[in-house]
Amino acid sequence: MKSPVRLERRLYQPKRLNLLIPAASLLSTLVLGAVLLLATGKNPIDVYWRMLERGFLSERALTGTLRTATPLAFTGLCAAAAFRIGVINIGGEGQLYMGAVGASLVGLWLGGSVPLGVTIFAMVLVGMIFGGVYAGFVGVLRAQFNTSEIITSLMMNYIASILLNYLIFNSTSYWRDPRSFGFPSGKPLDKRAHWPEFDMFGIPVSFGLFIAALTAAMLWVVYRRSKLGFEINVIADSPRASRYAGIRTKLTIIAVTVLSGAVAGAGGASQVGDFAHYLDTKSLQLNGFGYTGIVVAALARLNPVGALFVAVLLGGLTNAGFSLQGPDFPSGLVGTLQGLILFCAVASEILSKYRVRYNRSAVA
Amino acid sequence: MNSNLVIIVLTQALFYGTPIFFAALGGVFTERSGVLNLGVEGMMLVGGVCAAWSSQVIQGSAWFTVSASLIVAMFTASLVAAVHAFLCVTLRANQTVAGLSITIFAGGFGLSSYLANVWNVAENQVPRQVRKLNVLGLADTPIIGPLLFNQNILTYCSWVMCIVAMWYLFRTKIGLSLRAVGESPQTADAIGINVVKYRYLHTMLGGALAGLGGAFYSLAIVPTWVDGMTKGVGWIAIALVIFGFWRPDLTLFGAYLFGALQALGIQLKSRGVGISGDLLDAIPFVMTIVVLVLVSTRLAHRRIGAPAALGTPYEREER
Amino acid sequence: MIDTALHMSGVVKRFPGVVANDGVEFDVRHGEVHALLGENGAGKSTLSNIITGLYRPDDGVMKLDGVPVSFSSPRAALDAGIGMVHQHFRLVQPFTVAENVVLGNPETPFVIDSRSTNKKVTELAKRFDMAVDPSARIWQLSVGEQQRVEILKVLYRGARVLILDEPTAVLTPIEAEALFRTLRAMTAEGRSVIFISHKLDEVMSVSDRITVLRGGRTVGTVDRKSTSTRELAGMMVGRNIEFSRVVRHNPGNPQETVLSLSGVCGIDDRGRPALNQISVSVGRGEIVGVAGVAGNGQRELAEVITGMRPATSGSVTVGDKVLPNGNVREAIKSGLAHIPEDRLHTGLAAGLSVEHNIALKTYRTPPLSRFGMLRRKAISEKASGLVTQFDVKTPDIATPVRLLSGGNVQKVLLSREFSTDPLVIVAASPTRGLDVGATETVRKRLIDVAEAGVGVLLISEDLEEIMSLADRIVVMYGGRLVADMPAKGVNRELIGLLMGGGTQEVVQ
Repeated sequence: MKSPVRLERRLYQPKRLNLLIPAASLLSTLVLGAVLLLATGKNPIDVYWRMLERGFLSERALTGTLRTATPLAFTGLCAAAAFRIGVINIGGEGQLYMGAVGASLVGLWLGGSVPLGVTIFAMVLVGMIFGGVYAGFVGVLRAQFNTSEIITSLMMNYIASILLNYLIFNSTSYWRDPRSFGFPSGKPLDKRAHWPEFDMFGIPVSFGLFIAALTAAMLWVVYRRSKLGFEINVIADSPRASRYAGIRTKLTIIAVTVLSGAVAGAGGASQVGDFAHYLDTKSLQLNGFGYTGIVVAALARLNPVGALFVAVLLGGLTNAGFSLQGPDFPSGLVGTLQGLILFCAVASEILSKYRVRYNRSAVA
Repeated sequence: MNSNLVIIVLTQALFYGTPIFFAALGGVFTERSGVLNLGVEGMMLVGGVCAAWSSQVIQGSAWFTVSASLIVAMFTASLVAAVHAFLCVTLRANQTVAGLSITIFAGGFGLSSYLANVWNVAENQVPRQVRKLNVLGLADTPIIGPLLFNQNILTYCSWVMCIVAMWYLFRTKIGLSLRAVGESPQTADAIGINVVKYRYLHTMLGGALAGLGGAFYSLAIVPTWVDGMTKGVGWIAIALVIFGFWRPDLTLFGAYLFGALQALGIQLKSRGVGISGDLLDAIPFVMTIVVLVLVSTRLAHRRIGAPAALGTPYEREER
Repeated sequence: MIDTALHMSGVVKRFPGVVANDGVEFDVRHGEVHALLGENGAGKSTLSNIITGLYRPDDGVMKLDGVPVSFSSPRAALDAGIGMVHQHFRLVQPFTVAENVVLGNPETPFVIDSRSTNKKVTELAKRFDMAVDPSARIWQLSVGEQQRVEILKVLYRGARVLILDEPTAVLTPIEAEALFRTLRAMTAEGRSVIFISHKLDEVMSVSDRITVLRGGRTVGTVDRKSTSTRELAGMMVGRNIEFSRVVRHNPGNPQETVLSLSGVCGIDDRGRPALNQISVSVGRGEIVGVAGVAGNGQRELAEVITGMRPATSGSVTVGDKVLPNGNVREAIKSGLAHIPEDRLHTGLAAGLSVEHNIALKTYRTPPLSRFGMLRRKAISEKASGLVTQFDVKTPDIATPVRLLSGGNVQKVLLSREFSTDPLVIVAASPTRGLDVGATETVRKRLIDVAEAGVGVLLISEDLEEIMSLADRIVVMYGGRLVADMPAKGVNRELIGLLMGGGTQEVVQ
């Protein structure tokens, strides 16, 4: 018996796929999630409604959502930037940590001794340098030795995590607060080094989110209009053609990887400057922003502006998960749904390569 | 005093190394077929939570409950792996992202935690655990007693598995075909070997073994369920596959090496030595990077490299 | 005839736009080495693919030992005893020789005892005068040794008819001798060997009978003892074919050199020598045709000239500038244009739009970009202009080039390369796979650009094309330039002979 449906290879990708595929992913996630909820005796409508409420609709919802969306925007842009050129950088997590380390170093050192603007600039810059160099290592190994960036960037995540623990828990480093005896914690930044918040329609928006939006816009411009963006597109489409055209392929790959890490590093700087105001190793490691960033990038189909919106969406999901946590709301649901989203996003990508066609003679 | 530490560490190395070995052995089978599985951590946790739940729910003698729990763990983990295989082999998705999605979906903040919550697994201790054996009554022999004769039953199983796996991979016809599928699916397909079947089956086998590793955690190491209790060991198992050059025997050795580092870290931390703990923690990851670079160079690649088709979806060329 | 192992008669195979086999007659006897000779496109591969079950013929009869057969798959053919040794080996690199030979064989036992399989493989090899080490790993072997493994694979399955596709293309002369000894051992047992080749001297030394194909048809089957390389060359390229040489108003000036190669040597992807002391020059407005059967170093030649492949010695000069070795950017900057063989995957980024592809080499400088940013309007204007000028049929300039027809793809390439205002163009197989109309257009464009003073190095397997377009002809064989002569009045037979490895003296 022949299948009634067959897959036919697509020749080109219509633009509407950019909305169709993420929508399909989200829809299938909601459906599969509902099945799971039902199977375990919960009411999906109820759960989804409460998540929607706590994530977006209720009074303090958007504040928390945007707060969570900020680092996700950075890590989403980081992953998207690398994936676009075919470098699977899953080290956004570690690059974010390193950015936080660098930014908190500068922030502590400068304190309130210079105008806030200078401090912010320095923190972002150093955060980007730390994150960029950390990723650059992975890029060089990939470009020169063809070493799998997947494994190396992953290993670097763990090394960065160990470094964080070392700095705060297992040593008396510059970052550690000498006054914290019971439970070691990071030295707090001078109040004058706290990044400002802006009021947008009654909702506090952190400075970092603006930086993220700016970065997204800049990336968008780079991809569509700059020479570098052109080269990235060519390399991603055909490495052979890029060699033919005289593009310095290896160098570009390394440069993009460094850029990707720098963006994640800026996210780390934002974590320190906007929210924690000290090197909060516990919170950084618990949240897994780097990994969620990959979900953001995949759902946004590597589009930088799309990544912003998806970051807000996933921020809402995560935030709802936090605030709902309790005996009534199952922990682990947020992670499950996030995983389902990524999962469905990956599966939906097949729609970009194939069309669904119906076989006329479905019955033998 | 010091020799005591060495013996304790070595003995514990086998203990902590066993679940890592199971997961890594699963990874060896999966990667030998050409599929990259980054969802190991998630599969381990799913196996772990299912084992803990079964152990609390299934009535019967200790042997029965434990065996049944292990089987349930392996079964559910292999189902998760089947999903991964579907994504990677049938849908030809990007295998890295597919594996990551499985880990996020099933991992410490995902399905395994959700199920633990729903089934109320963490409330009580796991009633039936996997026990240590006293083989031939030699457990009290100095030095080698605790090391070789007083290990957990699953550890002894792992030794048998290692031998069987080596035989399977290198001495049987199926093993030869499997390795061909991972090295050159075009060649295998042209000869008539069913690439899809081999990839599905060995991915699911890999998942089952990961589930077994996870079950070891919840039934032997810490007999109370804690969300995310494998704490990243799944990732080490993935690295271990490379470290062991895709061979079960070297993987066993590597697993015990990592287990030893873990045990050493625990012992040193309990004696209040700080820095060494972190450094030791970092060594496995640094080592993996070094090994990976060495393996990537073309010279090494030919002799001991990854299966050539690893991570690449296979599409039969249309004429 | 009981003597016949394989009999093919009236075999027809059509593909869209071309009849690859047009009523082929082909007979192979037991115990003979039968050579299948012909130029590129003559129909040899199609015929062998039919014999080995990859293609089904549209018409015709195939009989194996007198019994009509029809194969549905390569496996079916293999089971029936017909095996093929391909040009591109299908071996698992990390496996041993023995493992590759027994892989996938239904008769291999479940538990593999390497000692006994090694022994079996060694014995089989000895029977056919082959020296192999069954426990050696494939990556350790030389190309000639790897080929032996491919042959063993097929023999182990009990093949009675073996087809070898250009087997000596990758062998040294000594290895080729060893191969011929093996073939003799096979035929001594009554097996049949079909030897596909374009090398006349080899064909004359190893085969018993020779069948020549041309244009999808059998030209004739001759006994080796009663023919000569000259006669074979004639059969291959055909006599009395009228072709019109193009009339040049501005014939090129060979004295004003725009491209010159001096002592260029190079290696291929496998590390084997591919170019041997190549020295040739192209003058302003001159069209120099490089004739030769594919696989004699043409691809490496184009890649070395354009900087995509570093030369191991020698130099390339464009205009008066010596090009730095292996530097594509400098080559482009010096005025070298390149129309590669592989249009869609090397010359163009297939998934990108027409306009982006047109900007592929010139995006770096004004007017197409400034201060690191692309000037979109300039790019689309240029693209639209070129599309109109070259009559490229495309829905719009934003269409991915992948969607265009072959002829239009080539037009996009040409338009881009010509518009860089080059000094010299390296064109490799520019009309391969194109229909008649597109072929005419491309040829005309090449003439036009030569008339305008651009030097053209035309590398082509199509001898007719070279003879009609070129001012001067050089022939490549085995990585060497074996002739360099003006096109006017040249003897087609001679060229055919040279392409097959013969020497000029023989013709006199």
